[in-house]
Amino acid sequence: MSQPTERPPEHVLTAPAPTETVITGRRLSDNTPQTFAARFRENIQYSRGRGALEIGVIVALVLIGFIIAGLVAPSQFPFLSASNLSGVISQSIPVLALMGIAAGILMIAGEFDLSLGANVGFTAIVFINVSESAGWGWGIIAGLATGTSIALVNGLIVVLTRIPSFIATLGMGFFWVGASIFVNGTSPAILVDGKDDALVAIFAGDFGFFRSQLLWLIVIGFVMWSFLHRHKLGNHIFAVGGNPSAAKAISIKPNSVRLLAFGVFGLLVAFAAILISVRTGSMQPGSTDDYTLMAIAAAVVGGTSLNGGRGSIIGMVIGAALIRLIENGLILAKAPGFYIQLFVGLIIVIAAVFNKLMEGKAS
Amino acid sequence: MTSDYLLRLEGVTKRYGANTVLKDVSFDIGKGEVVGLLGDNGAGKSTLVKIMSGVVPMTSGAYYWDGAAVPTVNRPTTESLGVETIFQDSALVPQMSITRNIFMGREITNPLGFMKLKKMDAIASNILDTVVTIEGIKSSKQLVASLSGGQAQAVAIARAVHFKRSLLILDEPTSALAVRATEALLDYLRQLKSEGVSSVLVTHNLHHAYKVCDRHIVMNHGKKILDVRREDTSVEELTAAVVEGEVGVNRFRAGTF
Repeated sequence: MSQPTERPPEHVLTAPAPTETVITGRRLSDNTPQTFAARFRENIQYSRGRGALEIGVIVALVLIGFIIAGLVAPSQFPFLSASNLSGVISQSIPVLALMGIAAGILMIAGEFDLSLGANVGFTAIVFINVSESAGWGWGIIAGLATGTSIALVNGLIVVLTRIPSFIATLGMGFFWVGASIFVNGTSPAILVDGKDDALVAIFAGDFGFFRSQLLWLIVIGFVMWSFLHRHKLGNHIFAVGGNPSAAKAISIKPNSVRLLAFGVFGLLVAFAAILISVRTGSMQPGSTDDYTLMAIAAAVVGGTSLNGGRGSIIGMVIGAALIRLIENGLILAKAPGFYIQLFVGLIIVIAAVFNKLMEGKAS
Repeated sequence: MTSDYLLRLEGVTKRYGANTVLKDVSFDIGKGEVVGLLGDNGAGKSTLVKIMSGVVPMTSGAYYWDGAAVPTVNRPTTESLGVETIFQDSALVPQMSITRNIFMGREITNPLGFMKLKKMDAIASNILDTVVTIEGIKSSKQLVASLSGGQAQAVAIARAVHFKRSLLILDEPTSALAVRATEALLDYLRQLKSEGVSSVLVTHNLHHAYKVCDRHIVMNHGKKILDVRREDTSVEELTAAVVEGEVGVNRFRAGTF
């Protein structure tokens, strides 16, 4: 990869003199917005294609509806009760959002990992067992290494064999569900000896409204935003997902970038697995399959393209928020559990159609 | 080791299975020379372009750069030599902004690899203002998907120009451009020449090629059939060569075309 070259403006070749009338149009360089507000407006204008804005409006509408319902009928619909609000905003949304970011980054690179749920399960079992025997410090290291390795193996299979990632990872997902029962047996792994106050404070602490999960989402969300939208490697992920041959022609190595995306995915999934197992204190093998589609749904609802090349961290977080908010609304309204599946299934399809329409509009 | 040519291909043959698409092709591209690579569909132009840019390996033959043999020709080596190819459709990522496309793979970053987006935007705006005249672009933050084919092509050319490559290969650059944009591009190629940049213009349009190219190479069925300087040929002879191959050249020279 060549070093980016910077050249002073006078070395830039000048345009051929216009043969007919001199065009006195606006120059782009004079057009650059100067104030913060103008820059903000320009960013909104040109990021509209990413879909975060539209879904943000929908989330705001749902939120307003819930707040009104919670104010009108606080006993039947206790949305605004302190425990409910902090449970949704501080705990259930952040954990799904982290998995949504993981799935979303991989989707931007043009790949899927359908073993996400199985990865969460196996990583949690490794984390719990190592924490029990060697202390939770080693448990965290082992857990993060396990989740990342599982994803990197998926990535290697995809890159080396060039089979579609959804088939490869579907198969590996079954493999790791089986492996977690093989390693752990069918009874749940339980975190007892390794679960001390410091561990709980770090990963499942409850500080009034704020819980550890939300603080982690803020930290990791910012790191991932910097990586995806501001770092050159993030730029390469968009390039490879959007048009691999263009990226290759400019000597970006698509396979390295795909492996990187799988690695980041695995690390985030492993972290989510640790958050989940510290809060619940146990992990039943084979109980985590739902996370796969929930995470992909969060990414898709947040405007991540199913074809790669488009998506944003903020969109993925908002997508997770919408799913968890409506889920919470259904629970508070005492709707039967299968309503949630009905809803999540439907919203994936609607969001995918919406994405398709927006892609059509953009090109 | 320097020489009068920039790139020399010697006896390049390319086979896909039993199918020979290039047969023993040799030519030079001089320093600061604009070479037209002409031929009908299936003549082997695209394969030749891919071999020159290192995307596709040759079956046999040699690749020399400025007097020295290049042992392994692949994209990283040609990239470091300064070869930039603007492929017909695949030069840009539609879902990314103009700025991010221009700096793709060559981002301006701080030591930690974080992009200096403001600086990149400013340079991109300046490139779009000065290098190629493109109408209708409002901001360098616009997504490439929202550009017309001609505008996108112009952005790809501006990118190659900004990074001042030593050999620019343009694969059918004028096919999607409006008349005015095409004139600007051809003028631009002349300017490249004055800056010492070599370029290869691959095109169907003989009139465009004849206007700017110093030399014309005509391909037919995987073989080079004509390699003439501009002053030794005419649009009519080139037409005969492209349409009828060697037969056409002979007929033209005999005055029976």
